[in-house]
Amino acid sequence: MAEPGSFSPAGPERPSSGPAYLWRLHRILALYVVGVAGFLALMTWAEYQGLSRHWIGPIFLFLTVMVYAGIGVYGRTTDPEEYYVAGRRIPPLYNGMAAAADWMSAASFISLSGALYLQGFSGTPEQAGGLAYLLGWTGGFCLVAMLIAPHLRAMGLYTVPEFFHVRFGGRWPRVIAALAAVLCSFTYVVAQIYGVGLIASRLTGVQFEIGIMLGLGGVLLCSFLGGMRAITWTQVAQYVVLLLAFLIPVSWLAYKQLGNPLAPLVYGEQISKIAGLEAQLLDSPAEYQVVQTYLRRAQDYEARLTDVEGALEREREKGRERIRALRAQGADVGLIVSASRDLPRDAATARERWTREMRENYERARPLGGLPRHSQAYAGDPHGTPEEQRDYELTRRNFLALMFCLMVGTAGLPHLLTRYYTSPTVSGARASVAWSLFFIALLYLSAPALAVLVKFEVMQNLVGSSFDALPNWMAQWARVDSSLLSVEDVNGDGIVQFGEIRLGADLIMLATPELGGLPYVVSGLVAAGGLAAALSTADGLLLTISNAMVRDLYFSDAQRKASPEQRVILTKFTLLAVALSAAFVAALKPSEILPMVSASFSLAASAFVPAMVLGIFWRGTTRQGAVAGMLVGLGVTVYYMLSHVSVLRALLPPWLLADGLWFGIQPISAGVFGVPAGAAVALVVSWVTRPAPELPRIRSEI
Amino acid sequence: MPQPPRPDDAEKAGPFPPDLHDVRHLWLKAGLLLLWALVSFVATYFARDLEFLVVAGWPLGYWIATQGAVVVFIGIVVAYGWAMNRFERQDAERAAATAGEADGRHG
Repeated sequence: MAEPGSFSPAGPERPSSGPAYLWRLHRILALYVVGVAGFLALMTWAEYQGLSRHWIGPIFLFLTVMVYAGIGVYGRTTDPEEYYVAGRRIPPLYNGMAAAADWMSAASFISLSGALYLQGFSGTPEQAGGLAYLLGWTGGFCLVAMLIAPHLRAMGLYTVPEFFHVRFGGRWPRVIAALAAVLCSFTYVVAQIYGVGLIASRLTGVQFEIGIMLGLGGVLLCSFLGGMRAITWTQVAQYVVLLLAFLIPVSWLAYKQLGNPLAPLVYGEQISKIAGLEAQLLDSPAEYQVVQTYLRRAQDYEARLTDVEGALEREREKGRERIRALRAQGADVGLIVSASRDLPRDAATARERWTREMRENYERARPLGGLPRHSQAYAGDPHGTPEEQRDYELTRRNFLALMFCLMVGTAGLPHLLTRYYTSPTVSGARASVAWSLFFIALLYLSAPALAVLVKFEVMQNLVGSSFDALPNWMAQWARVDSSLLSVEDVNGDGIVQFGEIRLGADLIMLATPELGGLPYVVSGLVAAGGLAAALSTADGLLLTISNAMVRDLYFSDAQRKASPEQRVILTKFTLLAVALSAAFVAALKPSEILPMVSASFSLAASAFVPAMVLGIFWRGTTRQGAVAGMLVGLGVTVYYMLSHVSVLRALLPPWLLADGLWFGIQPISAGVFGVPAGAAVALVVSWVTRPAPELPRIRSEI
Repeated sequence: MPQPPRPDDAEKAGPFPPDLHDVRHLWLKAGLLLLWALVSFVATYFARDLEFLVVAGWPLGYWIATQGAVVVFIGIVVAYGWAMNRFERQDAERAAATAGEADGRHG
């Protein structure tokens, strides 16, 4: 972007409050925004002059990371007050921006519009989602603003687990809170680093694992050197990039389709058009053919699954024949090897793979490729067949449960709450929450607009075009990962049907500029925005994890004496270790981004919120009550989630695991059981262990 | 600039019960939380029934979930911050006034 030095955070020698300080910050921000815009203009000009696409991606990646790293280096510090809470002098406006960037992770930036595209209003009974994410991630701030952030800020803390120590005393509340903070933040950070790897590998064409390492370098340069102080100003810089990166393509698509760039105000028109197109697609005979083909494939896999051994033998025989045929033709060695690799190795992997394929094919064998109608609230029909009524009821229940978990989880996620510690006053903390929500809403109001505009673009222009004329970018993305994008001429008519396109949730946003026919520079900007979102959240999370480990676990023991500077240094090295292990886990590609993130919200909701809210508002909460509430809340959530992990289901005896779904709630929303359980246990145990009332003093004189 | 407590102070502090919350603050919170629950949980619960009301091209249930609720959330947070600042200012004025009166009596 602009030259790295142009965005300089307040140095310790500068005035740190008052209007002069504020004006200086405003001036720097304005300069920075102008710098970013100028850089974009320069790159667009360069592209028209013939700058190769191979260069644009790496330039964006490299320059933005360099800017963040520059701010990190400039903000380096070993002063604990600066390292942990940025000197508590960040004005609410900037705190809000930083919190917004901290908050909007790879999941919001990369996956949210995709999820809205795929799931419409509410998703399916098996996978609720859609607008629940949008509502959950904004509505939670009401809880943060009223119940938690100002109260924590008033206590002058440094970490979230510290609250449990100061309020309840003793060792265990803090240790449990710290472990819970590490657990949910680690789940979350793995998802972010996965996002970083995804973007970096697409932008530069390097391998996924190397992409992770590149992005990690950027994260570490900021958080490692400067702690909260550097992170705050980096996040402000990242917010600007990610907001521009989101709004430019959305506005462009809105302008292209509707003639007005203010997408959130005008996209209502497209909703009814999409409903019309959906009705057309449902009647189309070509779509029907596609559905039938997928159904046949699914049934084929189902038949194989009834006799895995025999089917595998038949498949092997077919494979050998194919290899023989290839050899006879004198085909390329690579082709032969890949043909022989295609087969599952043994019966167990064959069963697993075929089950997955069967499910996928059944999924796609539904009308509209398994996508629900876009603006219809909830699947099924409340007045339809019993089946449809059940679908409707389950979707609605899972939607509300997921929304509840995300909202309550927002109020419990430590990396967000520590952001409000950096505000100068309690009133500033309240204002910071309001600013955060405002800056988040700028993006979140546009996300559903983007989903609608992209869907219209796909249904109107891509569907019905010829397979020979498929745009280039589709093939490029399909090469990165076939689960992101696959297009296959299933019914062999050479025309793209809606059911033949499958887009992954993580792809929609990243591919929007190409879909809308924008200059490639915007693709670079979008990728840089996704990177900024992932990096800013990863920064905050890594700092939270390492602070929890060092301040709350290692030094919570009064025996360990260390100077504040030594603690900071130890925190820095813990951060390095955590970052590397998170990168290692992310390289295994454990899951999609959204499910991982949602899981960490459920964990945070049930571990922190009941004990924290009770501790703030009810004098009767005891230490034992808080410990029991946290353990039970977390325990119920983890138990319910793990009970539905297929690996564990196979390993552990069935009596140990939860019996099916409770009330049909999906494991992703396990917090809906954990939060009430934790609150109830905290209440009961506090009441049982309440201190005896003081006995009336007996006057000995009488 | 007043120095915030150093890290050690907080760690040495024993358990403390929360301050008694001002009743006005609690009513404010209760009212705003009720509004919050209404626009998020109640409105989305009935989203399907609100779908048939189309206002200016938008199905109402969809509009509330994508935009209306978020705008109300912002309103709640802003109103809370504004009201709390007002309460705090009033308290400070009242405290100053009583301190003034006390001074007057003594003087």
